Amino acid sequence: MVISEPIRSEIAAEIAKFPQPRGALLRAMHLVQAEHGYVSNDSARELAEIFGMRPIEVLEVISFYNMFFDKPQAKHHVYVCTNLPCSLRGSRVLLAQLEAHLGIEVPGDTADGRIHLGHEECLGACAYAPMMRIDDRYFEDLDVEKAKSILDSLGK
Amino acid sequence: MAKITVDGNEIEVEEGRTILQALDDSGLLMNGIDIPHYCWHPKLAVDGSCRLCQVEVEGIPKLQIACDTQVKDGMVVTTANERVRRAREGVMELLLVNHPLDCPICDQAGECKLQDYAYEYGVDASRTREPRRALKKRVDLGPTIVFDQERCILCRRCVRFCREIPKTGELAVFNRGDHSVIDTFPGEELNNDYSMNVADICPVGALTTKDFRFKIRVWFLEDVPGICTGCSTGCNVHLGVANNKVYRYVPRRNDEVNETWICDKGRMSYREIGSADRLDRCSVRNHEGRFESTSLDAAVEASAARLAKLVESKGAGVIAGIASAHATTEDLFVFRRFLAALGSETSGVAVVRGDSDDILVREEKAPNAAGARAIGFADAKGVVDRINSGGVDAVVMLGHDALNESLLGGADALRGLDTVVVLDTHASELQHVAHVMFPVRHAAEKHGLLVNAEGRAQRVEPAVEPAWEAYSDGEVLAKIGAALGLEGFDGRFDVHEVSRELARSNLAFSGIDLDTVGAAGQPLATVVADSPATGGEPR
Amino acid sequence: MLQCPYVTSYLTEHFANDEFGTLEGYERFGGYTAARKALTEMSPADLIELVQTSGLQGRGGAGFSMGMKWSFMPKDSDRPKYLVCNADESEPGSFKDRIMLERGAHQMLEGILIAAWATGASMTFIYIRGEYSHPADCVERAVAEAYAKGYLGDNVMGTGFSHDVRVTRGAGAYICGEETGLLESLEGKKGQPRKKPPFPAQYGAFGMPTTVNNVETYSHVPHIVNNGIDWFRAFGTDKSPGTTVFGVSGHVARPGLYELPLGTPLAEIVFEHAGGVPGGRKVKGVIPGGMSMPILPAGQLDVPMANEFLRERKTMLGTGGIMVMDETTCMVRVASVISYFFRDESCGQCTQCREGTGWMNKIVDRIERGAGEQSDLDVLLDVAGKMEASTICAFADAAAWPIQGLLRHFSEDFAAHIGARKCPFPESFEL
Repeated sequence: MVISEPIRSEIAAEIAKFPQPRGALLRAMHLVQAEHGYVSNDSARELAEIFGMRPIEVLEVISFYNMFFDKPQAKHHVYVCTNLPCSLRGSRVLLAQLEAHLGIEVPGDTADGRIHLGHEECLGACAYAPMMRIDDRYFEDLDVEKAKSILDSLGK
Repeated sequence: MAKITVDGNEIEVEEGRTILQALDDSGLLMNGIDIPHYCWHPKLAVDGSCRLCQVEVEGIPKLQIACDTQVKDGMVVTTANERVRRAREGVMELLLVNHPLDCPICDQAGECKLQDYAYEYGVDASRTREPRRALKKRVDLGPTIVFDQERCILCRRCVRFCREIPKTGELAVFNRGDHSVIDTFPGEELNNDYSMNVADICPVGALTTKDFRFKIRVWFLEDVPGICTGCSTGCNVHLGVANNKVYRYVPRRNDEVNETWICDKGRMSYREIGSADRLDRCSVRNHEGRFESTSLDAAVEASAARLAKLVESKGAGVIAGIASAHATTEDLFVFRRFLAALGSETSGVAVVRGDSDDILVREEKAPNAAGARAIGFADAKGVVDRINSGGVDAVVMLGHDALNESLLGGADALRGLDTVVVLDTHASELQHVAHVMFPVRHAAEKHGLLVNAEGRAQRVEPAVEPAWEAYSDGEVLAKIGAALGLEGFDGRFDVHEVSRELARSNLAFSGIDLDTVGAAGQPLATVVADSPATGGEPR
Repeated sequence: MLQCPYVTSYLTEHFANDEFGTLEGYERFGGYTAARKALTEMSPADLIELVQTSGLQGRGGAGFSMGMKWSFMPKDSDRPKYLVCNADESEPGSFKDRIMLERGAHQMLEGILIAAWATGASMTFIYIRGEYSHPADCVERAVAEAYAKGYLGDNVMGTGFSHDVRVTRGAGAYICGEETGLLESLEGKKGQPRKKPPFPAQYGAFGMPTTVNNVETYSHVPHIVNNGIDWFRAFGTDKSPGTTVFGVSGHVARPGLYELPLGTPLAEIVFEHAGGVPGGRKVKGVIPGGMSMPILPAGQLDVPMANEFLRERKTMLGTGGIMVMDETTCMVRVASVISYFFRDESCGQCTQCREGTGWMNKIVDRIERGAGEQSDLDVLLDVAGKMEASTICAFADAAAWPIQGLLRHFSEDFAAHIGARKCPFPESFEL
């Protein structure tokens, strides 16, 4: 069993909140991903069993959304917004500098698996650009130095 | 009923149907009123994503998709004006932006809806200069299907089919936008009893069958209407014929029988027509016990001589007849008359039974079991019992289904018999025990009727001509009957005459004439149900 | 960091006060009196009439009358009815719902409660975009407080009316902000919009009659109930009453949120409130309502920010996300960013959208790289035209409009890329 008991209990609690069980599916995927970093094929099969679906139906949902992954991921996801308002305030320059700082190209992982660096579309922080989302936190009003030190502080 | 006007034509349609359904119901869709479409299929749930079927509906500002617009009394639809033309052009051009230029190597060419509609409704020249997306081109999707992701136009018919018909749901659309791709779950495959139907419904060459891949260009094929002989459902098919050879079966639509589908086994059963084990000569067992090829006349003589001798010495009561549910109704009618005229009282039809499902596949694995029963053949169990208890000295047998473990359980059961005369399409164990063998025509090689499990008489016609001397069962029996001097046998067999005679003499077949049964078949006057063991009772 | 609006009005005037975010604090500022009044003194029919007459337009981008939407819900139904609060804010340039969620959750909940009473809904699903972790936490906290106080759940405020709220999160897909795309996602599927009809009021969340409204739209409702139609219509214009929270970003001195009456001239917002373009540079163009809305050139910033005026300029209010671009901006690069976004976010169902967004992006990028031809502009316009008004949802239109707008007002930038085969504004996006 890949999905742990505690997570299964949480999923069951979520299912109880919706008129149809499947309403809790995205929530369940978030929970599974929080534990393992991604939703593996085995997890997908177990989720399928829990929700009375086919594994392929679970996988197609995962593939549709940006925030779900079906492969193992780096420890931290760092996304710099490169949509229009952020680009107008230098987010693309920032991103290029972070690429250089980490020695990787976007989208890509550092060799030690600590950081995945990518770009994302509008995150709702347009007035505080440039900014980045790291996992579930926003870091706004960035300059290059600030951004670099935030990245460096990310633990392994 | 509602009256709607389409392109100035008033049509009566059923309320609650969509425009496409209504036109399909009335037989006008793509047959007088052309509304090109991809994602819609008459037998699948509505999708509405291809956007090709847009039409103008009076009173509604935006163009509407005909597949999802319900008809209302008084609705006025225009399918061919500038606005609609431009909309179709838009869809066609955008579909071709990423579609690979594979026509020269693509099996679908010649029966491709992208080609057809691009020609009819598309733009003259491609305007795109961008590289097309590169995806997987030869995906081994499973035992029967090859998938080319680049050719896919994402109509999602295949996804819906797998979910709705076999209900196995092996396919899904992954990702989104122009990164969308259809695929299976990693490590799983498209593998169900109806998988090959996806190649039919795929409008382009994205899904093709491994069986047909690269075999022949479809424009060389003639489509001959016929019936699958795999089970008693009698799915309607088109035989794809070229060079006197059947290259494939594809399902032929019949909403009363198989809708637009056929099971994989049935579809593949075309191979039995040209298989290497077809009987291709008359044979008689000589004094040393070996089979010798002979002429038809010699084989007829040999059969008649043996049977006559038995009749004289022991009476016709020791002669049994085993009919085949693969033979046509006309053949079986002649056989019945033959046995009656001979004086045989022991007869039955041998039917092999197997698995069934609640989609198309039925238990009885032959196309004319109901026809055999309607003609008066009971199940062959009775015959088999008599053979096993030693009460039979001769058997005239059509086909070799009687060898099945549920009946004779092998040819050895016939070893002690004085005379075994076999009329068959394919070689079998009977070669070891038969005294005379005649090669007979497959349903794809003759005219005749086959009655399916629901009592529908369906027509077959010759699609190919065997390369050897082949005969219908009725022809052979007519000659043996004449050689025996049986009443009513003059050696001739005219299938149309026989059909009319059957209609005259058998209540179930009244009004059923081989020449007038249409392409969709005709229900028998009284329906004989397929029952598990002993054949049905006329209702 | 998310700042409270620099100019406030009735929606956001107390946001700077942390207390306003707690239930007790909210009540001290008069919160939940409207809900109590609605549930105890007004009939659902009266409420619907009130909101409809107020003229409150949806603030989620489409601008549809909220009251009229409520009136579509079946009056009697043996099926449960649902509300959805669309908190999927993903329109580039928009960040106003975010602050409504973080600092005005109770105000939104009160609006939801009133809407529930008006429509007979038994449950509301608040669908928050997956990336809004902190705002979602704020909402969950507020919901828990409301349940604890008996303002949600069985027997709300002792009135016998019951209403439940479920907070659920998206997972990163702009199309889940489309009404029926949201419903699909809520049901645990891919967020692919549904064909309409049937509309959500007939067949919505889990197949039940549903009304979907935006975070900010709900937030106006308690104020309308408390203060009445005349008070509400004193803000804004005749056809577009009330305030909205504009979000200003891009080349301005003071990017941020500004709650102002609808009809405020765009130039006033950009130059007076947001301080104009810094560094003495000139404005080149402004997108007035989120990235789906066509751009306005510098000469047209006099337009009052309300749909009836913006439509005349071939654009719309959308979500009020105002993006200011100065003279160093290359509009072809802008087109590249915009077309990339729509290509990435298309759900992929409809042929024109799936293939059209991809093709437009490829063409624009090629022009940007210096490999474009004059004929490419004709193709771009033609493709954009073929994407309009013929798809399952309005995403294809939203993808087409900005390109049409850029070509309409800034064709010189495109011509320069094609002629010189390089960008005439090399500093664009590089600063």
